[in-house]
Amino acid sequence: MALEQHEKEKLQKGIAEFYDESSELWENIWGDHMHHGFYDPHSTVSLSDHRVAQIRMIEESLRFANVSEECTKWPNSIVDVGCGIGGSSRYLAKKYGATCVGITLSPVQAQRANDLATAQGLAHKVSFQVADALQQPFPDGHFDMVWSMESGEHMPDKAKFVAELARVAAPGGTIIIVTWCHRDLGPYEDSLQPWEQNLLKRICDSYYLPTWCSTADYVRLLESMSLKDVKSADWSPFVAPFWPAVIRSALTWKGLFSLLRTGLKTIKGALAMPLMIEGFKKDLIKFAVITCRKPE
Amino acid sequence: MRLLTHNMLSSNIKGVVNGFPLRIEAEKVVEKTVEMNGEFLKKMFEKIDWKAFVDASRAMGPEEADCSMLDSDEFLNRFHHALLELHLEEGALVCPETGRRFPVNKGIPNMLLHEDEDTDGEDSKDGLTDIWKVGVFSVTG
Repeated sequence: MALEQHEKEKLQKGIAEFYDESSELWENIWGDHMHHGFYDPHSTVSLSDHRVAQIRMIEESLRFANVSEECTKWPNSIVDVGCGIGGSSRYLAKKYGATCVGITLSPVQAQRANDLATAQGLAHKVSFQVADALQQPFPDGHFDMVWSMESGEHMPDKAKFVAELARVAAPGGTIIIVTWCHRDLGPYEDSLQPWEQNLLKRICDSYYLPTWCSTADYVRLLESMSLKDVKSADWSPFVAPFWPAVIRSALTWKGLFSLLRTGLKTIKGALAMPLMIEGFKKDLIKFAVITCRKPE
Repeated sequence: MRLLTHNMLSSNIKGVVNGFPLRIEAEKVVEKTVEMNGEFLKKMFEKIDWKAFVDASRAMGPEEADCSMLDSDEFLNRFHHALLELHLEEGALVCPETGRRFPVNKGIPNMLLHEDEDTDGEDSKDGLTDIWKVGVFSVTG
């Protein structure tokens, strides 16, 4: 069920403004990768570990997708769907010597991403546009690798989101989705429990997340589009150390001052962090990786 | 926006059969120097849509690229300049079928579709969890 158009525009505007407002704060505290780090479970992490963990998240995702180590088989063209300020794009472009294009709803992020690419001497390899992941402005089959790192949760229509990922993937190309999901439903369940729905709704409101689905839902969607080698895993234990670390950094003087300077949307997001921790602890929220390949 | 980027953007408006290439309306074009990489240029030469690139480079200014031999230094320099060093800062990308203008501001194209251009209108029968039929997750943000 797709959202009504006015709801969709309201959501898009909310997402764009949320990231326009919070992008600088995030970058100041966490660097240019706007995604979770991959940690050893039950570890206590500090700010200084975070960038290494964020890189590890990218590398573990590539490994999970069985992207070849042989340079002759590396992707040449990559799309970063929901690219933030381009951390993944720049990393992947450097790693593979590929061209990478990123799309985001936030003009502030696109501008910052381009500026960082120029500053890092990557401007000829990576570029960023304001575009809708549900209507990607690219021809069919254009990209050897389709990358969606923690953007799927913002998509109001998961079927359309996945269909676009599949459309722009080249034959033989790899699709990598890393996203938040809710737990898979049991065989006799039609829906989550009311307390679970309520907790998710409170998180949705704070982070401009329109809807949740399960990892199994993504797998079903990908398989229904005849994509091959569909794999998924629950990486919740590997990201769980992240949220207490975020809260600790927010409670530093630097964190608090920065937060107060940004704006209400970001503050609201910050206040919702304990909800995320609750969701993870109660096995409701899952951090999922789902990968597949487009047939040749 | 460089011509390298323009070469991969297309119009996805509902009903458009071939939205590539987008026509360029240039209001402000700037030149930004980029270090030349011959290997990269050769790789890109094979991948890009040449006609779209040549037409676009005419729109961006007096520079023109033509199909000379790749091992000509002069050709490589001109190709490099047109592909990577010319930036459309202000202007628009125009859908070849509908004439709809996608604005380019501060070098960034905005490819978001308007309400009547969106194909995303039908219910998608995707067999997903029925949770949103409960109506819990309406957007309030």
